[in-house]
Amino acid sequence: MEKKKYSIKEDFSMLAILIIPIAVAVNFVGGQMASLLKLPMYLDTIGTIFAGMLCGPWVGAVAGGLTNIVTGIANPVNFAFIPVNVLAGLVTGFLARGNMFSNWWKWLISMVIMAITSIASAAPIVVLVYGGVTGSGTSIITATAMAAGANIWAAVIGTEGVFTVLDRIISFAISILVIRVIPDRTLVKYGCGANYIKKKSATAQSDKK
Amino acid sequence: MTWREKLRLHKSNPLAALYPSSKLLVVLLYSFCTMLIGTIKVGAGHYPLWLIPWFLVVPVLCAASGIFKRFCHAFTKVLAIVVIIFVVQSLLIPDKVVVWQLGFLKVYQSGLQSAIYLSFCILNIAGIFVWMFQTTEYKEMSRALEDSGMDYKAAYVFISTLQMINILGKNSRTIMNAQRARGVETQGNMLVRAKAFFPSLVPLILGAITNSEERVLTLESKGFDVKCKKTHLFELERTGKEPVVNVISIIITLAVVVWRVALWVL
Repeated sequence: MEKKKYSIKEDFSMLAILIIPIAVAVNFVGGQMASLLKLPMYLDTIGTIFAGMLCGPWVGAVAGGLTNIVTGIANPVNFAFIPVNVLAGLVTGFLARGNMFSNWWKWLISMVIMAITSIASAAPIVVLVYGGVTGSGTSIITATAMAAGANIWAAVIGTEGVFTVLDRIISFAISILVIRVIPDRTLVKYGCGANYIKKKSATAQSDKK
Repeated sequence: MTWREKLRLHKSNPLAALYPSSKLLVVLLYSFCTMLIGTIKVGAGHYPLWLIPWFLVVPVLCAASGIFKRFCHAFTKVLAIVVIIFVVQSLLIPDKVVVWQLGFLKVYQSGLQSAIYLSFCILNIAGIFVWMFQTTEYKEMSRALEDSGMDYKAAYVFISTLQMINILGKNSRTIMNAQRARGVETQGNMLVRAKAFFPSLVPLILGAITNSEERVLTLESKGFDVKCKKTHLFELERTGKEPVVNVISIIITLAVVVWRVALWVL
C-alpha cells in the first residue's frame, strides 16, 4: 500500500456513506432474523463488523453508533449500549486496516480481540446501568447464576462471554463470506477493500476513491 | 396554500409542535434532574423514593401532548425490562437486613435500594426519550439536525438509514421465503436454525451492496456532491412558544438543584 497522508474525511467517500445505512439495516434485520429463528444470540452487529471490515474503523464506528440511536428511538434502553457497538466497529476497522483478516490464524486472533473488546465494554454497562439483566434470553441464565450465589460480575461476564463469542463467529463468517463474493472491481472502491483481493497487481490501487 | 406549504407538518397540539431542539433541551434537563433526585434518600431504609412521584411527569406530559396511546404502546418494552431488573435486583443481592420475607424469597434492603434506583431511573429517562421520539417525526429530526449546523451528508445518512431498514426488512422476508421454498430448513435444532441464517443474510447484504453502486451514480447525477447552498422542500416552523418552554424547564431544573443542595447543607 502506498504511504500517504491519511485523513478521516477520506474514509467517508460516497460509497462509504451509502454503506452506513446498509450496515445499520443489516444489524437491524440480523437481530430480527435471529429472534425469528429463535437463536439465543443478538446477532445485531453483523452490519457494524461488515462496515468496519470494508470501509475502516470510522465508518464502522458511525454505523455502530447509528444502529443504537435508531433502535433506541423505539426502545431507549439501547442508548446505553452505544459505546459497545461503536467500539466493535472501531476495533474491526483497525484490524482490517492492519490486514488482520488475510488467513485463518489471523482470523482467530482477530475474533478473540473482537470478542474481548465487546465483553469488556458490554459487561460494565449491563451491571452498572441495568443491574445485570437486560431482558434478553441470556438474562435468564445470568439471573439463575446470580440466584445460585455467583457474583454479579462473574455471572454477567460468564453468560455474555459464551454468547458473545458465538455471536462474533457467526457475524464474522457472514461478513467474510459476503466480502469473498463481492467482485474485485467493486472491492477496490472501498477503503479496506484492497486487502481482500487475492492476486494483487504490482501497483496497488487501494486508495482509489 | 402553495404546494410547499402543504408539505409542512401542521400539528394542532402545541407541545407536540415544539421545535425539536427545544424538546431535546427538555429531555436532557429532565434526565439530569432524574439523576439528581435519585441521590435523595428518604426514610429509615434510605430509599430514593422521590423518583416514583417524579415519574408521573412523563405520562402527564405525554397525555398533554396527545400521544398517550402511542406512548403506552412504545413503553411496554421498557416496562418489561424494568420489571425483570427490579425483581432480580431486589431478590438476588444478598445483604444482612431482610426487609420482607415470603417463604424462601427474601427482599434485602440494599437490593431494594438499588432496585428502586435503577428501575425508576431507567423508567424516567427512557420515558422522556419515548416522549420526544413519539412527538417528533424523522424528517423533522433530520431537518433540525441540518439547521443546527450538521453536515447535509450526515442528515442524509440518518434519513436513508430509516428507509433502508424498511427496504431490507422487506427483502429479507422475500429471500427467506425463497430459500425455504428451495429447501433450506428453518425449523429444527439450534444448529439447523443457525445454518439457515447464512443463506438468508448473505444474498441480502450482497444485493444491497450492488444496489449502492447504482445509488452513488443517481446521487451524483442529482448534484449531491456539489459544494453549494442546498435548498429544502420541507421547512420546519417554530411555534413561538419555545422560549417559554425552555425557561420553564430551566427554572424547574434550578429548583431541583436548589432542593438537593439545601438537603445537603441542612
